Amino acid sequence: MPNMREMPYAEAFAGTLFSPGRGKPEFLVGPNGKGAERRFEVYRNNVSVGLVNALASMFPATQRIVGEEFFRAMARRYVRDHPPRSRLLVEYGQDLATFIAGFKPLAGMPWLADVAKIERAWLDAYHAADAAPLVGEELAAIPENRLVDTILVAHPAARLVRSRHAAVTIFSVNRREGEVGAIETDIAEDALITRPHLDVAIRILPAGGAVFLETLFSGHPLGEAAAAALAECPTFDLGANIAGMIEAGALADIRQ
Amino acid sequence: MSTKSVITTAFVAGALASALSAGSAFVTATGAAAADQEKCYGVALKGQNDCAAGAHSCQGQSTMDFDPDSFKLVPAGTCLSMDMGKPSLKPMNG
Repeated sequence: MPNMREMPYAEAFAGTLFSPGRGKPEFLVGPNGKGAERRFEVYRNNVSVGLVNALASMFPATQRIVGEEFFRAMARRYVRDHPPRSRLLVEYGQDLATFIAGFKPLAGMPWLADVAKIERAWLDAYHAADAAPLVGEELAAIPENRLVDTILVAHPAARLVRSRHAAVTIFSVNRREGEVGAIETDIAEDALITRPHLDVAIRILPAGGAVFLETLFSGHPLGEAAAAALAECPTFDLGANIAGMIEAGALADIRQ
Repeated sequence: MSTKSVITTAFVAGALASALSAGSAFVTATGAAAADQEKCYGVALKGQNDCAAGAHSCQGQSTMDFDPDSFKLVPAGTCLSMDMGKPSLKPMNG
């Protein structure tokens, strides 16, 4: 193992923290020069349990779906393979959905990764910057000849999660109290997650809606977003989708 | 974008006019109200000392936690009551 002169303290410490086979950092000693192996194992365990508990709080529907025992065992594996990269615990679990998608024991639930994506997006929306959502009057005030080229700025909390499965329904019923009955999981559901004021809300988008919003959110003008949506879905209703994104609070500003 | 030409000012203006008078095309998820109540997620997240809770032996679990070959569990939650992806007769996305 590299010594401290070659590796900063935190890096050497963290390196062993998530690799039990490597014992404790060489430079760590107990009081009066005693060994610190057991103390370090206690610390290592607390870090693991703390992160697993954080994941359980962030992904309650995912945990409910697979059961607590399975979730915690899977989460321990995730913690080992994906240690935190941020000091903020609330940032943790950004790639849990990707991990789930590749986790063989869950191959029978191809929709679970999308449910986890929605749960993470829910938390992102919750902690996003506050901003006043754009209202219909502001859109109405845009000169007609500028409309096609108008760029609409996404609200900081707005998130899209596209799914080929009924991820929003599965998320919703598992975040509620009460029984979870049979669900047709193969119906595609694209989710729009917003938090215009204090409360996070989630909506299912109509066909073409996700492409429309994706195009807008990536900074393309309204006309291009409408064209992209119509290209994917000829029955795309621009008026109803504009009404929907305003009502959901998905936009923050107009850039002309 | 080549398709841009098909989107006319009149088309967008008409859509906007209808948007300001008509309803949303987005379906609010039925669980949204429940999710709204869960404001505390993330706020109270912090590292926890599991030893203090006496949940298990402090150091004993650490190597097991990380054992890559120990995963033998099968899911046992609400997934057992949900339809696991049978082919659907309904059209995709309405």
